[in-house]
Amino acid sequence: MRVVIVGAGVSGLFIAYELAREGIDRIVVLERSYVGAGSTGRCATGIRASFTSEEHVVLMRESIRLWEEHSRGELGDYGLTFVRGGYLWVARREETLDYFRKLVSLHNRLGVPTRVIGADEAKELVPQLRTDIIAGAMHDPTAGKSYVFTTLRALMKACSERGVEIRTRSAVTKLAAEGGVVKAAVLESGERIKGDVFVIAAGSGSRELLKTLGIELPTKNMPRHIMVTEAFARAFDPLVVDWDTPGAPYTVQSTEGNFFIARELEEEPELSIYSQRIDFIPKALKPIAELLPFLRAVRVLRYWIGYYVTTPDNHPVYGPVKSYSNLFLATGFSGHGYMMGPVTGKVIASWVLRGKPCIEHAARLTLERFEKGALIKELAVVG
Amino acid sequence: MGKEVRKEHPAIVCRCNDVTVEDVERAIEEGCRDIECLRKVLRVGMGPCQGRTCIPILARILARKLGKKVSEIEIPVVRAPIIPLPAHLALKSIDADEGGND
Repeated sequence: MRVVIVGAGVSGLFIAYELAREGIDRIVVLERSYVGAGSTGRCATGIRASFTSEEHVVLMRESIRLWEEHSRGELGDYGLTFVRGGYLWVARREETLDYFRKLVSLHNRLGVPTRVIGADEAKELVPQLRTDIIAGAMHDPTAGKSYVFTTLRALMKACSERGVEIRTRSAVTKLAAEGGVVKAAVLESGERIKGDVFVIAAGSGSRELLKTLGIELPTKNMPRHIMVTEAFARAFDPLVVDWDTPGAPYTVQSTEGNFFIARELEEEPELSIYSQRIDFIPKALKPIAELLPFLRAVRVLRYWIGYYVTTPDNHPVYGPVKSYSNLFLATGFSGHGYMMGPVTGKVIASWVLRGKPCIEHAARLTLERFEKGALIKELAVVG
Repeated sequence: MGKEVRKEHPAIVCRCNDVTVEDVERAIEEGCRDIECLRKVLRVGMGPCQGRTCIPILARILARKLGKKVSEIEIPVVRAPIIPLPAHLALKSIDADEGGND
């Protein structure tokens, strides 16, 4: 069996890795740019299971287990790390704590042990936090982070060792099919890459590519801004979200020491990722530096835009498509593709090899749900 | 990787992340074919200098190792603010907008 995967981001590479581990020896990953050039290499690397839909929680709890397992296994030997630093949602207002209590009861019911804590306990987790302007916080001790470039490098090494061919600068312009079977991925150069199974994990490029098969993917590419500072010695572990400020600013210190700082700004979908919006820098810094005053002294190295490839229900599009027998999707992660990477690999590999996902909840996330109107309900969206 | 290869007097390519010529050559031998790959693997060009020192050197090493012309090596996108910007200076613009007194 020859498997063609479109997209060498975290999803495509974890799918290739899992298929190769199951003995598939003819896998090619086609990438239009360089490895991790899309949303993967642009993300803030946070990993959490504290969602409020059963689908997200079940998949992400498994993904966190896999992140830990990988960090201690072969991928860990090649540099993949997972740090269980937690997430801390800071409340500036008392009434926000009531809302957090409702979220916590949802999380706890779904098996994620979040809790509401006071300002003093928050300060124990993040010693630099200003407590005089906060009412308290919600803490998820099971969440964590994993540095994206070491993850990509580990996956590239492990995949290459198993004979996976990763072809960069190989943009797929269309998919060619005959009688409900996809036959080839056609490159810009005109070269046809034939295969028995095709997996589309092309992030923000998935929608245009699937149009060439007449498939409408209901995703929008939502631009999200993020900046990075110089590197410092470890300051604090959790990803800190300023929940009461519009656009939910957040910061996290990467395992390399740099602080990522982000805040959601109103933007039109499809804005070029090469646009410059320099006012983002002070707008994101201000609320975060209020909470963590030492950040006023750091220097910002650069800022960039990455897409949240967003579906109407903020859940990914997984698995097979009705009209083509050998086509599988792993896209539309709505900002959660990096954290879901390991479970995406397992779920899609099992779908390809055994005809069904290894986690039944994934079966609710196929493209068909949008036709049927069976959208997934997230009871509360937190960051 | 940066610290693994050491000669007595190593030639440093990237002073921000302490990367030597040997580190770069080895990454190319391991399969890196462009500057983007070298950045991800060695973290060259991602420090405070933003690659102003190392990118031209990397382009030359890549060209030599791959038998290409330097002009054929793709140069990464330059990102704002280009020169490291102290956060308190960036904040002045917004404090002024909002009538702050910083």
